[in-house]
Formats: sequence, structure tokens, C-alpha cells
Amino acid sequence: MVFSSGEDVMKRLAEQQYLCSKNVATVVYLACAMRKPILVEGPAGVGKTELGKVLASALHLDLIRLQCYEGLDEAKALYEWEYAKQLLYTQILKDKIGEALAGSRTLQHAVERICSESDVFFSQKFLLPRPLLRAILSPAPTVLLIDEVDKSDTEFEAFLLEVLSDFQVSVPEIGTLKAIHSPFVILTSNNSREMSDALKRRCLHLYLDYPDPDRELEILKHKVPGVGDKLAADVVHLLHRLRKLELKKKPSISETLDWVKALTLLQIERLDHQLVEETLATLLKYEGDIRKAQKEMQEFLAERKAKLQAPAVASDKDFLH
Amino acid sequence: MDDRIVEFTHLLRRHGARVSLSEDIDAISALGILGIEDPSMFRDGLRATLIKRAADIRTFEELFDLFFLGLGAAVRESERDLMGQLGLTPQQYQELLEEIRRMLQRQPNLTPLARALLAGDLTQAERLIRQAIEREELEQAGGQIAVALYLRLAGRLALGTVEEELGSFREMALAGLDDPGHRQRLSRYLERRLQDLSRMVRDLLRQELKKRSIVASERERLEYLTQKSFAYYTEEDIQRMNEAVVRLAQRFKNLLTLRRRKARRGRFDLQETLRKNLQYGGVPFRIQLDRRKREKPQILILCDVSDSVLNASRFMLQFVYSVQDLYSKVRSFVFVSELGEVTRLFEDNDLQQAVELALKGEVVNVYSHSNFGRAFELFYREHFSSVNGKTTVMVIGDGRNNYNRPNDWVLKEIQRKAKRLIWLNPESRWKWGFGDSEMPRYAACCDVVEECGNLSQLHRVIERIAR
Ligand SMILES: Nc1ncnc2c1ncn2[C@@H]1O[C@H](COP(=O)(O)OP(=O)(O)OP(=O)(O)O)[C@@H](O)[C@H]1O
Ligand SMILES: [Mg+2]
Repeated sequence: MVFSSGEDVMKRLAEQQYLCSKNVATVVYLACAMRKPILVEGPAGVGKTELGKVLASALHLDLIRLQCYEGLDEAKALYEWEYAKQLLYTQILKDKIGEALAGSRTLQHAVERICSESDVFFSQKFLLPRPLLRAILSPAPTVLLIDEVDKSDTEFEAFLLEVLSDFQVSVPEIGTLKAIHSPFVILTSNNSREMSDALKRRCLHLYLDYPDPDRELEILKHKVPGVGDKLAADVVHLLHRLRKLELKKKPSISETLDWVKALTLLQIERLDHQLVEETLATLLKYEGDIRKAQKEMQEFLAERKAKLQAPAVASDKDFLH
Repeated sequence: MDDRIVEFTHLLRRHGARVSLSEDIDAISALGILGIEDPSMFRDGLRATLIKRAADIRTFEELFDLFFLGLGAAVRESERDLMGQLGLTPQQYQELLEEIRRMLQRQPNLTPLARALLAGDLTQAERLIRQAIEREELEQAGGQIAVALYLRLAGRLALGTVEEELGSFREMALAGLDDPGHRQRLSRYLERRLQDLSRMVRDLLRQELKKRSIVASERERLEYLTQKSFAYYTEEDIQRMNEAVVRLAQRFKNLLTLRRRKARRGRFDLQETLRKNLQYGGVPFRIQLDRRKREKPQILILCDVSDSVLNASRFMLQFVYSVQDLYSKVRSFVFVSELGEVTRLFEDNDLQQAVELALKGEVVNVYSHSNFGRAFELFYREHFSSVNGKTTVMVIGDGRNNYNRPNDWVLKEIQRKAKRLIWLNPESRWKWGFGDSEMPRYAACCDVVEECGNLSQLHRVIERIAR
């Protein structure tokens, strides 16, 4: 389950339609080689979760995902007892008790027999593994994606820390369960709160930012196959201008993709005024942001118009620089 | 290389990035994997292992350039430049260098610096100069520092000798040459090396000064802020303080969480399980762990927001709300003379905004005269029922009551009913009880009374409360 170099990471992620920068590739390669978790931070929609997913498919490993939220606790993340099964089992035990005791000569002997049966009661048979335990028990290596870890509360973080440090958990009734293969762990965070130093120490840190224009253009072409060159260049250029504004929520890659998919479906080849006005709401969520963006949009369209009327034939590439 | 990394992490720490020893080690093993040939990989590897907060990335980038790139780019630039001036192709330039190196072999007594310069090994020359600079004490920095330092450095590097050596090497080399073109090229080359020497010393010195001066001022500023009274904070101080509070809160949280976790872990409890499951005919349908589920405490905070104690209240509010998930309930009130509840503000706004709104007179008139007695009485009438045995009540104020009725009976009532009553006073202890201060009277009713007028006192208070 290894990559041979940073370039190898880049290539194999690209095969999964995920285009990343050299920086990302280097960190992923390093984490893999050092067997350390990666803590991925960055704004919403830049591909943090996606990175975890494509890593699993690029490495041909199972993906186990733990989605964090406020109030997530050990029972939901690690294991629960299957009460119903246990109940069923005791019923059977009751029925079979006569059989089990047949042939025991003394009371002492009978008690011992029953005790040996009841050990089964708290065995792995009745354990319902949740994502973390599944990753630990998995016979093959896995990619464990712990998504939006900043949403969990500090209690859970402290618990996670213990699990991540040696991939073993102790179930009081059974004993210690240790991972056969340590999973490759990706944690993502939107930084709604700062994670503890202790957790960060155990991880490599990757800050995912919005991609540069060239890469975003590539992503668009990969993910929206029918997209026109002119449209893609327009969109990317416009988005980079919008992201420079002070917006409450900046448009992300996923919103860009959705927008371009919609435009392509409508068979639109270039952005124009009315179109942009009408579809702006798919890109931006807040009223205030939309107002700010409208101004920027008009300037952008005006500049482009001026450029188009200029005699020189500007290539698409020029719009990006 | 490892030494350079360790040194670099020291530098990062001095600039406020939190880098632990284990991260040093990670960085070094990362370089073992990535190698150090590819500069961008080198940078990415260090960044991923050493820097864990987005806020520190900029510091890292700046210091990285300063520390590792050194003069590298500038040096390469000037070499290309020189080649062009001499009108040589890279191959011819290499031949020239070879020729000089052969001559150098016949000169065993040169200083290492002169040798490196002449041979065109500028990396080595840079290293020698840097080592000398780093050995200099820069602590007693003053206005004249650059000049004084240059003089001392010149002595240490024996710059005079090096220059002499360059000169006599030139004469020696040119003596045996007839071809005027070649003479001119060699002479130009050697002159250039002399210039390189002074330029490198100057640039490296400047870099070093820059490196160290950011260091000193940053450290001093923090130190100073810790002791500075809240009352004299400037806007900028408040900004920096906000960061400090966030950090403090996080540490407090981690501490308490770990402690509570340890207290809570439980094992399967056979007796309890049997007892609980009697109703199911002894079938253990409900498992009982002897997990003491301690209930989270509640906190109620009463902040004086009159001008004199505004900043102390600001930081306390900020702190309490930063750690509010440690409590099952947090309620907050502000007062000057009237009393107003601000809990809602913290539900509807983000933390910074809520704090500002609470302090800005949206809720109570902040221009009236402080009247603790009245505020306490109002609290008793309207909110006393919300105090119970799990509540920690915290009052922040200077207790200066403008000679109004003190109404300390309210505090007595609160203390009796609450789990704990804490009073934090931003005013110096020796002033308590003078003038219109009712502090001694109020203090007598509280479980804990602390002075809390600057950051270091706030630290201490929080540590006490955590226990
Ligand atoms: N480098 C990339 N190459 C290809 N597609 C990408 C890339 N980055 C992001 N995407 C696309 O953007 C979408 C959003 O990514 P993802 O859901 O992973 O974002 P996120 O950072 O996890 O956001 P959030 O913080 O909201 O969870 C994905 O569906 C993916 O298709
Ligand atoms: Mg996500």
C-alpha cells in the first residue's frame, strides 16, 4: 500500500480524477512513508474529504469513514454491544441448560460448566464494531478517513488521541484488541476550533488552499468532460477574482463544478451578463456576498469585452494571467 | 544538516510557533525520506512536520527563506552575470575555474576563505562567513551595532589577510600570461571575487541582524504584555491578548478533559447489572458499567462593564465562552448600575462579536455610575432561582460602589446556595477598601477572591479555578 515518490502520488491520484499540487503529493508520500496520519485543514470545498476517498481507491484499499459531529462518543465511533443478539443467546442458553448440565456430578462441577459457557457472552461475537474498531480489526490495511474532526468535542478528541497513538483499544470485558495493520489515517478539519497540540504532534499537517488558476482549469476539464475551453477559462478567471473579495463564504471547487456542469448542460459557451446574474445564487450563499460579487462581475465582463474587441487574438491562457 | 534543522526549529519557536522535540525528529526523518536535493520538496517536508497551525505558515515561509536560501539565489545570479561579462560559455568558464584551481594547489598556505573565493566555491565561502557571524554576540545591540559588528567580524575573519591574499594571487597568476584576452578575463574574474567578498559579508550580516532583531522585539512584547495592566491596553494589545486567551482556553480545556476522562472510565459492574436486570428475569438485557457519570458543572458570570474594568471583563467573558462546552450551562450578566443578561448574545453571534456587543452598552447603560448594590439586588429579585448547588458563580468587578448601599447580603445568599462563589478584582489588592471600595465587605462573603489585573494573574486564577 505504498507510493514510490511524490510524482507517483500525483500520477495515481490523477488517475482517480484528483489533481493535486506537488506540495500535496509530497506530504501524502511522506505520511505514507512515515506511517503518520495527515491532518488536512483548509476552507470548505477544496477537496479535503475527496483526498481521503481518492487515496483509498488509488491504493486499492477499503475506505472506512468516521464522520464527526457534536456529541459523537465512543459507542458510536468504536463499538457497542449487540444487546438483541446477547438476549437471544441467553434464551438459547436457558433452553440448553439442561443439556449443558447433563452428566455433571456435583454442584461445583455444574457451576464451572455454566461459567465457561457464559464467557462467550462478552466475546467478539456480540461486539458491534463502529468505524474505529472496524479499522483496527480489518484483516487488510485500510484508509481511515476521520472527517471534520473539529466538529467533535474535546472529550472525543482526547479519546481519539489514545486510539491513534497505538491503534489498540481495551474492551474491559474482552481485553486488548490490537490492529493487525495500522490504517492510513486522514483527518480533515474546517478549523471551527483548534485541535490540541497533542493531536497535532502525531500528525503531518497539510494546508489545502484554493487551487491556482491553471490547476483549477485542469480540474474543470477533468470533471466536466464536455466543457468548452472558453467557458472554462472565463469561469476560472472570474472565480479567482471573486475569491479575492472579502466574502463570508468564498465559492469553492465543488460549487464551481456544479455551476459549470449546469452551464454546460444548458450548452452555454461564454459567460454573459444576464446569465451570471441569474445563476449567481448557485455560487454564493449570502445576500451580502452576492451584492459584493455583482460589482466585481460587471467589471470582469466589461474588461473581457474590451479585450475581445481588441484586434489581437487573445488565447484562453492569457485570461489566466 | 541535522544541526541546521535543530537550529531552524529554535528560530521557529522564538517566533511563537509551537514546535516540540518530537517534531524536530520527524522533520529530520522526513528529510531522510525526501532527500534534500529538491528545494520545494525540502520545504514541503519541513512544513508538514513542523508547522501545525495555519496561522504559523507565514512565519515559516519567511524564516525559511531567510534561513535556508541565504544568499543562494543571489549568488547563482551573479555567477551567470559574471560569465556573461567575461564573454564565456559555461564550458569555457569551467575551464577557467579548473585553471585557477590548479594554480591554487601550488599555494598551500592560503586561508580557507581566500581559497574558497578564488576557487569559485561561493557556498563554502558563505558558510565560513556565516559561521563567523553566528559566533558573534549581538545581544548588546545598539544604534551603532552594524558598524561595530562589522569591525569585529573583520577581525575574526582576518578580512585584511584574505584581501591581501587575493591581491598577491592575482599578481602571481597574471605574471606568467602573455595572451592579453586571457589576462583580461582572469583579472576581471579575480576582481569580481574581491567584490563578492565584501558583498557577501554585508548581506549576511544584514540578514543576521534582521533575524535577531525580530526575535528580540517579539519576545519582549509578549513578556511586557503579560505584566501590563489590563487598564492600559491599546487596541493592538487587545488583538494580541485575544490570541493569548484562545491559547489559554485550549490548554485549560485539554487539561480538564483529560482529567475528567480518567475519572470516568469504568468497568463492567456485575452487581449493578444483575440488580438492574431483575425485571427481565435476570437476563442481562441492560449492561451497567460502573462509570461515574459526573455531571458537568454550571457557570454563571456577573461582569462589571464600567470603564475601569472593561478589559478584565472582556477577557473573562471570552475565556468562559471559549471553554463553555466544559459546562452544562453558561449564563452571563453584565452590569453597571442596571443588570442585563447577555447569554443570548453568545448564542446568536460569534464569540468576538458577542463580547463586543455585551460590553458596548447594547444591554445596559454603560455611562451610569457603578452601583454594585443595586445590581446585586436586581439579580436577587429576578435570577436568584437559577442558582443551584451545581452553579459556580463568578463576579468580576472592582467593588467600587460610589458610596451606595452595598447589599452584601445578596452575596451571602448566593454563597450559601451555590457550589462556589468567586470574585475576581482587576484592581491592585492594596487599593481594596480605600475610598468607595466595598471590597473587604464583599470578599468576606466569597469562597475565592483573587486579584486579576493582568495576563499573568489571569493565568494564575484560571489554574486555581481548574483545580
Ligand atoms: N484537486 C481536485 N481534483 C479534482 N476534484 C476536486 C479537487 N478538489 C476538490 N474537488 C472536487 O470538489 C468537491 C468538494 O470536495 P470535498 O467535499 O472533498 O471538499 P471538502 O474540503 O471536504 O469540503 P468541506 O470542508 O465542506 O467538507 C469534490 O466533490 C471533488 O469532486
Ligand atoms: Mg469534507
